[in-house]
Formats: sequence, C-alpha cells, structure tokens
Amino acid sequence: MEGEPLIYLTCVAIAGADYCVIAADTRMSTGYSILTRDYSKICQLAEKSVMASSGFQADVRALQKVLAARHLIYQHQHNKQMSCPAMAQLLSNTLYYKRFFPYYAFNVLGGLDNEGKGCVFTYDAVGSYERVGYSSQGSGSTLIMPFLDNQLKSPSPLLLPAQDAVTPLSEPEAIDLVKTCFASATERDIYTGDKLEIVVLNANGIRRDYMELRKD
Amino acid sequence: MSIFEYNGSALVAMVGKNCFAIASDRRLGVQLQTIATDFQRIYKIHENLFIGLSGLATDAQTLYQRLVFRHKLYQLREERNMKPETFASLVSAILYEKRFGPYFCQPVIAGLGDDNKPFICTMDSIGAKELAKDFVVAGTASESLYGACEAMFKPDMEAEELFETLSQALLSSVDRDCLSGWGGHVYVV
Repeated sequence: MEGEPLIYLTCVAIAGADYCVIAADTRMSTGYSILTRDYSKICQLAEKSVMASSGFQADVRALQKVLAARHLIYQHQHNKQMSCPAMAQLLSNTLYYKRFFPYYAFNVLGGLDNEGKGCVFTYDAVGSYERVGYSSQGSGSTLIMPFLDNQLKSPSPLLLPAQDAVTPLSEPEAIDLVKTCFASATERDIYTGDKLEIVVLNANGIRRDYMELRKD
Repeated sequence: MSIFEYNGSALVAMVGKNCFAIASDRRLGVQLQTIATDFQRIYKIHENLFIGLSGLATDAQTLYQRLVFRHKLYQLREERNMKPETFASLVSAILYEKRFGPYFCQPVIAGLGDDNKPFICTMDSIGAKELAKDFVVAGTASESLYGACEAMFKPDMEAEELFETLSQALLSSVDRDCLSGWGGHVYVV
C-alpha cells in the first residue's frame, strides 16, 4: 500500500548465557519503494532492555514514548532501573490496554535479567508474550525462524523441570549466526537490506555494530 | 482460504556436484485435518528425471497421469528418454493450455541432463518457468523453505552432504508450517 510507512523490517534477537543480541535491518519501505536506507528500529528502553519493532511506524513511536514515560515514573518511584522481565510485563500490559484499537507493532524485547542471563521476549500486536531463547519478527521472520530453529533448537517451555531457554553459543558465534540469517533474508525478501544494526548487551554494557547488506 | 492451501505441501529441489536432490513432505490434509501421513508428491518420470507437484492433490495426481502418458508416447516415438529441459517445456505447455481454468499445482522438476549436469526448475500454476542454479521451492511452506535453503545452501555439495542439508532445511521449514509436515521423502540422484 503506497503512502503507509509500514516497516516490514526483519528483526532477530538471540539470548545467551550472559549476553543478548538484538539485530534489525535499517531499511524503511512503503509499498515497493524505499523511504530511507538508514533508519534505526532498535530502541533502548532501559539500561538492560532493548526493543526492536516492526509494523506501523507511528504506532511504534507512540509505544516507545509511552514506555519511556512509564519507565521514568518507575525510576522516580523505585530509585532504580526497570529490569528486563519487568519491562516485558509493562510492554505486554501497554499493548493489551489498546486491545480494541491496537498498536500495529510487532515487537521483540531483548535484554539481561536480574541474574545477568540473556532474555528475549516475543510479542504479538495485542500483548501476548513469551520468554524464549531466540525470536524474529517482521517480513523476514518466516524465512529466518526455521533456520534459527535448526541452529538453536530451544527446549519447549512446557517441559518439566523447566529448562534454560538460552543458547549455549558464545557471543561471537551468535553474532555470526545473526549475520548469516540477515544475509540470507536479504537475498529473498525485498523489504530487508541496506544495513544491519546489531546491538549487543552484556555485563560490560551495550554496544552497537553495523554491517552492510545488499542494497537492491 | 486459498485453493493452494487446501491440502498443504512443501517441495524443494537442490543442485549438487553432478547430482541433485528433491524432497517433499508427507502430509495430506483437508484444511486443518490430516488425512494421510505418507502421501507421495514426487514422481519418477525416468531414471534421471523426477517431478514433484505441490498444491491441490487431485490436480497433482491428474497432472502426473497426463505427463506420464505424454512421456511414454515420447519414448515410443523417439526411442529414448526425455531430457529434463524438454520435459520442463512440456509441463509448461500443458499448464498453459489451461490458462483460464488452471491446474492448481506448482511443479518442481529435477533431472540430470547430458554429462550428468543437474537441472532444476519450478513453475507457477500456469507454466511460467523459473530456472535456478541453486535451489527451488514450492508449496505452503515456501517462504520458510526460502529462508532455510538460502542459509544452508553451498555450491557443489556431494550426494551425502546434499542429502543432509536438504533434509535439515525441509524439516526445520515444515516445522514452522502447520499445513505441511509429518516427515519427508528425499530422492538423491
């Protein structure tokens, strides 16, 4: 549909033992056209929580504003930053608050939990969420998910005793995996490409890397 | 629901070093109900030529019967097997005959041509050929298959490695598609 800045992006998040990788491409497109090649879709909500969203741009921005405001209030009331699981619950509640006129945003939240382990939460548009070991959203997610399933086989969250969802891969290996995923998705998905932004959260803090992707 | 998603299917063919592999899932369903878990979608035309038919199962079976008939006639007249490229053109022509009332099938053709050179191609339901040098996919799981194959494919794989790669790609892709699954048939030539 022309004139609707829907970001059909692809975003991927992988949780590791002591790190979390969130990556998204930087293309914004509408219909068959590209609006810009350099648009960041990854937003840092708290010290240890980073969110990437695909969907309708205006709704994504509004959602980020609401979450930032709520986080500020939390910081004033509790004198500390929100943990990632807390932010995950807040995001879910914020989305469900608009159950009958939803935010057209498909989110993936990544970060470190209170023990320093990586966590990834995946959402639908109305706030149903689940903590998983890896996730992808957006137009390239149908292309990437089977490959991630194959490489990162995560145990089912229904198993007892509860098994760790995080991947045993090391941080450089996970980043390589993400780069491979995006290189493949760029080949076959018209909405994915230009540049890949990778955000890595670990005990040392947060860092951003960039990688060039195909521009066609 | 689209007519192509009535039965559910997943088909993929990949090229290796002087060999090819073609694989399909085994589920036959009627929308959300599974009817069979051992349904065959890939048919042998001759020793070095296989065709897989995704989409509506009844059209796949009818189309297969017509193609076998045409190939047998060809064998009687020319006293040799059809080359894969020729067969692909035949399938394309037969599908386009029904341009305004098509067979709801997407074929995937894989064969070995002269000098054991592997040939793969796919078509849409009205016969538009798409030749590829690496892999082709069809069916309800095609998007997942695109992603998995693109990530796992390497050029010039030997037969065993090709089998492994194709099986892994097929299995992980159909696991993300509710209309296909229940295992896979893989033919490596």
